[in-house]
Amino acid sequence: MIKLKNVSKIYPNGARALLNIDLEIDKGEFVFLVGPSGAGKSTLIKLLYREEIATRGQVIIDNINLMRLKPREVPLVRRNIGVVFQDFKLLPNKTVFENVAFAQQVLGKNKKTVKENTLRTLELVGLDRKMASFPSQLSGGEQQRVCVARALVNRPKILIADEPTGNLDMENALGIMELLDQINKMGTTVVMATHALHIVDMMKKRVVRVEAGRIVEDSKGEASTIGI
Amino acid sequence: MAFDSARYILLQALQSLKRNIWLSLASVLTVTISLILLGSAVLFLANTAQVAKTFESQLEIAVFLEKDYSREQLSDLQKQLERMEGVASVVLTTREQAVWQFEETMGSDSLLEDLGGINPFPDKFTITATDATLVEGIANKIMAIEGVSKVRYGQGILEKLINFTHWLRWVGITVVAAFSFASLLLISLSIKTNVNSRAKEIQIMRLVGASNAFIRWPFLIEGLIIGLTGALVAILVVGLGYSWLLQYIVTTLAFIPVVANQQFIINVLLLMLLSGMAMGAVASLLSVRAYLKF
Ligand SMILES: Nc1ncnc2c1ncn2[C@@H]1O[C@H](COP(=O)(O)OP(=O)(O)OP(=O)(O)O)[C@@H](O)[C@H]1O
Ligand SMILES: [Mg+2]
Repeated sequence: MIKLKNVSKIYPNGARALLNIDLEIDKGEFVFLVGPSGAGKSTLIKLLYREEIATRGQVIIDNINLMRLKPREVPLVRRNIGVVFQDFKLLPNKTVFENVAFAQQVLGKNKKTVKENTLRTLELVGLDRKMASFPSQLSGGEQQRVCVARALVNRPKILIADEPTGNLDMENALGIMELLDQINKMGTTVVMATHALHIVDMMKKRVVRVEAGRIVEDSKGEASTIGI
Repeated sequence: MAFDSARYILLQALQSLKRNIWLSLASVLTVTISLILLGSAVLFLANTAQVAKTFESQLEIAVFLEKDYSREQLSDLQKQLERMEGVASVVLTTREQAVWQFEETMGSDSLLEDLGGINPFPDKFTITATDATLVEGIANKIMAIEGVSKVRYGQGILEKLINFTHWLRWVGITVVAAFSFASLLLISLSIKTNVNSRAKEIQIMRLVGASNAFIRWPFLIEGLIIGLTGALVAILVVGLGYSWLLQYIVTTLAFIPVVANQQFIINVLLLMLLSGMAMGAVASLLSVRAYLKF
């Protein structure tokens, strides 16, 4: 599903964010990206949804080589990838429903489809009763659920999350993790960068550890967590 | 699908216009000014061209002869002149006729006596050409004929008029270009402001894979609305102004040949409309382009 071959990313200012990364993630996997601040986790994630382009190497998503992608093909690839951030990036003057519906409207979907998909997805994240609220009227956890709903509503094959629990308290963080696990069990490949090691410990999923732009540990094939 | 998207796009554009109403109005105003200038310049140039053409066609060549010609010689010469290429008419004014004409205009009947019986006027042919551009060539040929002392035609005046319209054309182009540039800048500024205030929305649109075209549409529509509004105001001003001017000239300065051709005026107004829309579209595409690089 996701394949990085000998990928390096050097930013224009010379920052060497990733060096010779080889990584393969199968369909349906749940993978944590961990590592110290500045290790390159966010950079790796940006390569996946082609916010950034690798300086060297190949990034292949669902058999599409992002290095050979024409600019006008980028949106088509993004429709296959849902993205969730630490800061929620919700539109403050739109309701919960509108925020989630927005992701489909801008793809030109018709009203009926938009409504059906939005309701179904809000139900999935447990926010169907709050769909008329504005983001400012929701808790952090609820806001992040809206983001997850928005990332999922177009039924992407891959869900990418960059520190989705970073701004949440323990209880809300666990709620989000439960949700991501559920989504993963429904078949979506999940990649999540995080500093929350207790969560990583608890989830017992594959862990890829990045330090100074290199993968230093990968628990693929191991049953349990690696030493953190 | 198309309908929902179109509604969304139009709504976005209108909201943007409203959000920065003063900037929007300033943009509309500059578009209006540039288009008024454009329309006026085109109409003015068309009219000067018309005036030049009319006066050109009225251009005459006056040929003064040297010595005393007999009647036969004069009529031979007249026939020779009439046979020349490009000559439309040849009218003879003899020295005697010239004296009478002069006396008539001066209100005296003793001019010859006053001058001691010597007629100072030469015989004169007045020639019109079939085409104003031939005048100079004809005049030069006549100059070479023996016995011709002087040939006079509108030397200078015509050139001055043509030079003036050329000069005016360049001034017009420069002024219109400067104002168009200013309106491009202002439209861009107002659209950029709106792009910035919608940065988060655009970020999300890109994230979920909205096509670039879809993201651009609201801004394109916004630019088009600014251009169109500016153009309509300008068309109103120029259209009404010109028809009032035509009325005025036709009733009080009837000798000036104005361009009153309906189709031409409509074409000028259409040109203004299209220019306005083009300005809006170009400005919005330029200002959004930088924000939508992948
Ligand atoms: N846009 C950018 N331009 C230049 N350098 C950048 C840019 N983004 C990141 N970097 C640099 O690349 C390196 C990796 O950054 P990255 O954001 O990927 O780290 P991270 O692992 O996500 O860190 P954190 O855990 O703090 O979020 C850092 O040294 C950072 O300064
Ligand atoms: Mg990061």
